[in-house]
Amino acid sequence: MNPVASRQLILDRIRAATQSAQAGPSAGVLREYIRCGSLDRESVLQLMADRLREYGAEVILSTPSNLPFVTAEQIRSRGGRTFVVPPGIVPDWPITGVRFKVDRDLPHDEIEGCDGVITEAFAGIADSGTIVLHHSGTEGRRVISLLPDWHLCILRSSQVVETLPEYFARCPQPPALATYISGPSATADIEMTRIKGVHGPRFLNVVLVDDESLSGNQ
Amino acid sequence: MSHTVLDPRVAPPFPEAALPVLRNAQLRKNVAHATDVIQAKRAALVAEKADWQELRAAAAAIRANVLENLSAYLEEFESRCTAAGGVLHWAPDAAEARSMIIDILRDERATEVIKIKTMTSAEIELNPALQAVGVSAIETDLAELILQLGDDEPSHIVVPALHVNRSQVREIFARRMGLSDLSDDPQALTAAARSYLRKKFLAVPTAISGANFLIAETGAVSIVESEGNGRMCLTLPRTLITLAGIEKVIPRFQDLEVMLQVLARSATGERMNPYTSLWSGVTPGDGPQRFHVVLLDNGRSSILTRRTERQTLRCIRCGACQNTCPVYRQTGGHAYGSVYAGPIGAILTPQLMQMHHAQSLPYASSLCGACYEVCPVKINIPEVLIELRAQVVDQERRESRRWFDPMFLGMKVANFAFASSLRFRLAQWLGRVGLRVFTRKDGWIHRLPNLGARWTVTRDLRGLPDQTFRQWWAGRKEGR
Repeated sequence: MNPVASRQLILDRIRAATQSAQAGPSAGVLREYIRCGSLDRESVLQLMADRLREYGAEVILSTPSNLPFVTAEQIRSRGGRTFVVPPGIVPDWPITGVRFKVDRDLPHDEIEGCDGVITEAFAGIADSGTIVLHHSGTEGRRVISLLPDWHLCILRSSQVVETLPEYFARCPQPPALATYISGPSATADIEMTRIKGVHGPRFLNVVLVDDESLSGNQ
Repeated sequence: MSHTVLDPRVAPPFPEAALPVLRNAQLRKNVAHATDVIQAKRAALVAEKADWQELRAAAAAIRANVLENLSAYLEEFESRCTAAGGVLHWAPDAAEARSMIIDILRDERATEVIKIKTMTSAEIELNPALQAVGVSAIETDLAELILQLGDDEPSHIVVPALHVNRSQVREIFARRMGLSDLSDDPQALTAAARSYLRKKFLAVPTAISGANFLIAETGAVSIVESEGNGRMCLTLPRTLITLAGIEKVIPRFQDLEVMLQVLARSATGERMNPYTSLWSGVTPGDGPQRFHVVLLDNGRSSILTRRTERQTLRCIRCGACQNTCPVYRQTGGHAYGSVYAGPIGAILTPQLMQMHHAQSLPYASSLCGACYEVCPVKINIPEVLIELRAQVVDQERRESRRWFDPMFLGMKVANFAFASSLRFRLAQWLGRVGLRVFTRKDGWIHRLPNLGARWTVTRDLRGLPDQTFRQWWAGRKEGR
């Protein structure tokens, strides 16, 4: 069957079955579920950290001024030689003996050969411990946060919302690309036993940067 | 493992297919364990959600709205996806979908293709068709890999290998990957799958996926997964083909705030699954540069016609109804003879077959309603089951061979007997006398011949009392 005819056939069948002339937006949908959370900012951050730890991710708290040192320390303790960073991040952390590859269309093998990746994020959702990447210049192409086995993600407290609907409210435009990460790669396909690290990064470390001065003058 | 047939056109009727499973203690144990674990996790996470019923109501309304305006949303999806660089194909049936995919693969000169778990591809029996034209399909989801290497079929929509236990997985992997000293520790088995597939992800330039959601507003596709095999297939290859049922569309990006919340909790008992991917068409420099969407009808549009049955297509494939179903929990998925097993399969499969096959499935239920209670999009499965049973009976009514069906004749006789009180009392008397032969001293009937054996093969029957209620009542009045 030719493509135009197939398309017409399916649409005709659907129209005949639904008899709907008007194409309404989802106007009739009652949205009475919780949209905004009720926790104070400090508790939201705490919840985000708790959820991430439940997934087996490591969470490190930092102030904005400490961030370079915390990042360097994380990279040091990973113990690798080569790390990939997206083009929007300048890897000027105080660390020596480590090579940073800036991803300007790096081939897959080269990314695969790296010991880890450092990215920022678009948002964090505390209720589910989710990190949202929209793959901007500081978050990187999808492939760089996928192939290396260790992902260090820098998340700012001002980016963290309590509920999923709050994240959607923060999106001015729907993203063309997005990845929602809730803990490291996992499977429960064998006897429902949760195993970490199937194909995605086995280690997810999150630096939670308090850029709202929530915990006083630490 | 004997090879199971999951083609509703040739599968044996449900009661027949269920019998061997009911005698397989290992399989029943595997199924019970897996469904117990998911159910407990789901229940705990649903309980912590104060607005669960509001989320369900919104999810049901979003999906119902989609189905009412399906053609408009599909056209909107088509124009946005095309504008973003995707190529759309409309497949009226399974054969068309297969040949469209094969044509694309031929253009790509593909000999291998990596696949993300997609039940829709199992529905159209894609893998054997690919094999026939010399393309080997590599399943990358752990459960699908277990099934593919074990020459087995899926038995659950979300956890397709839940009927296989760790020692069986060890045996399959050791044999097919040539790893003789592999242990049966799930960690080791998972690691074996990781290294087995890693090379494929980096080398194979073509991937096939299903879809969880198509977003009309943006032309984006979304896939939820746990392992990262999905992200690999969506990111590394040069070409991506997404096969999706026409009902998978949702109106707006923002509708995901409802759908993602109910899906993860219902499917795997997680607040959110580890990875959710969203992409619109082609993004220069990031991911596949050629992107095809094959929209599959294959009987779906005919389900839209009637209001009661239409709700079947709200399904977002979470599998919660399977985990909670007292029938599925005993028989597992293969007895349903379809990739869609359990309560949703019992209503979806015969309808996709336009009621020409799988007519035994609407009866594979006790109508207890547990499926309706857990369904995140509020599909009233018992209501649809009853409607489909009525259709099956109507079909049988038209068949002349019904006169040879003992059940039909029994109903006819009952109809005749129940129509007059004299005949009814006579039938009662005959029944009492007749059954007395089979009633044991303990007052129970353990075994009946012929048609009656259908009852007594699995349970005992209480013997008829010496007098009827009417007789007892009459005697009581006289005694006063």
